[in-house]
Amino acid sequence: MTSRVLLLALVCSVVACAKSETNTDSANRPPPLGRVPADTDDFGALLPVDTLAGARVVSLVPAATELIYAMGRGNRLVGRTTWDLFPDSARLVPNMGDGIRPNVEVVLAAKPTLVVLYASMANKAAADAFANAGIAVMSTRVDRIADFERLSRQLGVVLNAQQRAQQVVDTVKATLASVRDAVDGVVRPTVVWPLYDSPVMVLGHGSFVAELLDIAGATNVFADLAKPSPEVTIEEIVKRNPDFVMTSPVSAMRFASSAKWKAVRAVREKNVLLVDTLLTGRPTVTLGMAAVSLAKVLHPDRASRLP
Amino acid sequence: MSKRAGNSVGVNASQKGAVRSSHWKPLVLGVVALCVLCVLGLAIGAISIPIADVLRAVSGNGDAGTVAIVRELRGPRVLLAALIGAGLSVSGGALQGTLRNPLAEPFLLGVSGGAAVGAVAAMVFGATHPLAVTLAAFAGAAVATITVSLVARVVAGRTDARMLLMAGVVVGAFANAVIMVALAGAPAAELRGALWWMMGSVSDATWGDVGRLAVAVLVFGGALMWLARELDVLALGEEPAAALGANVDRTSRQIFLLASFLAAATVAAAGLVGFVGLVVPNIARALGARRHRPMLVVSAVYGAALLVFADLVARTARTPQELPLGAITALIGVPFFLAQLRRLH
Repeated sequence: MTSRVLLLALVCSVVACAKSETNTDSANRPPPLGRVPADTDDFGALLPVDTLAGARVVSLVPAATELIYAMGRGNRLVGRTTWDLFPDSARLVPNMGDGIRPNVEVVLAAKPTLVVLYASMANKAAADAFANAGIAVMSTRVDRIADFERLSRQLGVVLNAQQRAQQVVDTVKATLASVRDAVDGVVRPTVVWPLYDSPVMVLGHGSFVAELLDIAGATNVFADLAKPSPEVTIEEIVKRNPDFVMTSPVSAMRFASSAKWKAVRAVREKNVLLVDTLLTGRPTVTLGMAAVSLAKVLHPDRASRLP
Repeated sequence: MSKRAGNSVGVNASQKGAVRSSHWKPLVLGVVALCVLCVLGLAIGAISIPIADVLRAVSGNGDAGTVAIVRELRGPRVLLAALIGAGLSVSGGALQGTLRNPLAEPFLLGVSGGAAVGAVAAMVFGATHPLAVTLAAFAGAAVATITVSLVARVVAGRTDARMLLMAGVVVGAFANAVIMVALAGAPAAELRGALWWMMGSVSDATWGDVGRLAVAVLVFGGALMWLARELDVLALGEEPAAALGANVDRTSRQIFLLASFLAAATVAAAGLVGFVGLVVPNIARALGARRHRPMLVVSAVYGAALLVFADLVARTARTPQELPLGAITALIGVPFFLAQLRRLH
């Protein structure tokens, strides 16, 4: 059940990322640590620039929730989404729905001083309502690794945890660099990563998972498709003929017993790599560990070089 | 219905000959088109396969990839599309006959709404296995059909055509409201799955689906063909039919239930593929198939051909994506229907 929920969260994340591509340039140039400039969030609203003393935070972005705990500010949380299951103590925070079109009254009842929400158009009205109520709002898209870094810095300032934020970012970046070094020079296998079965959706271009796959030394056969999770036909997968199918253990069993998936050579030849979706489903503090886990299944001969 | 009534609306030998010859030609053309489209459906896709290789793969010979594509991917979906087209067309033709309304179609009578409620409920509650969705959709359609029938009987005291249509529209509207409530709180992935199902697709076709729908089409479709003479009598109007000895109430109810269950089986197999049940029977009539048995046969063949063609377009028009089958049937069928309007008139 948990892995299914995480897979759904991954799909939601990469689907939503489709709308964010025009904003990724700014995301690739994070502001310097220690201060958030007179910058705007992904809705174009001014970000809070000062530390919010004694902030009461409602986080409607699972990646932000986990990050807040990693920065040692979990005690500030007064609200989270249904999908915020990490760390375990997050489950004790009141659940305020799935994070899309949040119930504004429920959030206001928690008396937050900061609301973090995902910058999709479905949340725009709620973001405006919170701002009109005098609450600091951080509307952000966390779809790529650079987005995670940017969010870390912004939350570090607002929650007065710049050093912890810097440590988290540095640790993740160092781990990713180590993985990149460990698989340097390997023959990169071609892979397909199905995300959903009906309709068939696969990993495309432009999400943190696609970036992790690249860092871990694989070539996504659907990297040419601009959407993070495009719909494709099984025949198209057959045509692109990947070396491996990457999927969760549950989906692997389904593929093995599915006549249509057996048309894919990698499935017929049992070249199915099992992915730890608990790690790869969240663009947050676990990004480094996710890259390590992917590199291990893709290049077991390089496991000894991995962190 | 008495045998006398059925025979009384028969035509003399010369008229029979004229009727047969008028629908014989379109029937042959339809069968040829269906066969050609089935072969093309097996050969064309993301990977084009030469006809000779297709024929070898059908018998299990050739390289493993080609055999898998032809036998496991394209084979079931082509046959499932054909069965859905045939089933919906026969269902629509029978309903139009018994309700004496050329605009009647299975989806107007609550079948689609009921099926969608069943399928969406299954998905939202986590029963996403295709067989579970299929069974839930059929159950939903069956409940809606029986509800419509009971409402019409209770209100009108008999199976009244107008009351059936009104009850169908109301039950369909209620079903839509239930679907909206269910989807309003559904996670994104379930929402996408449900919407995809409601747009209709045979991309997940399996031989099991083909087998189940084939049985349904043979049983329900065969029964409707058997009742075709009674449909001819009902088409004269309630009073003339009763005067000819027909049990109008019972026969109408039988045909309504059979046609609805046939449509329910197609919806359960591939989601909502609209328009076919409305348009194809009218096209069959325009092509000269006036009496119900030949009209249903011609409708089945043309409906099958339309769906096989629509599926071919759906999976090749915008590769690597696939388009919804229901949208393609409308895009293909509407211009054709408009072109036929003069003849229909």
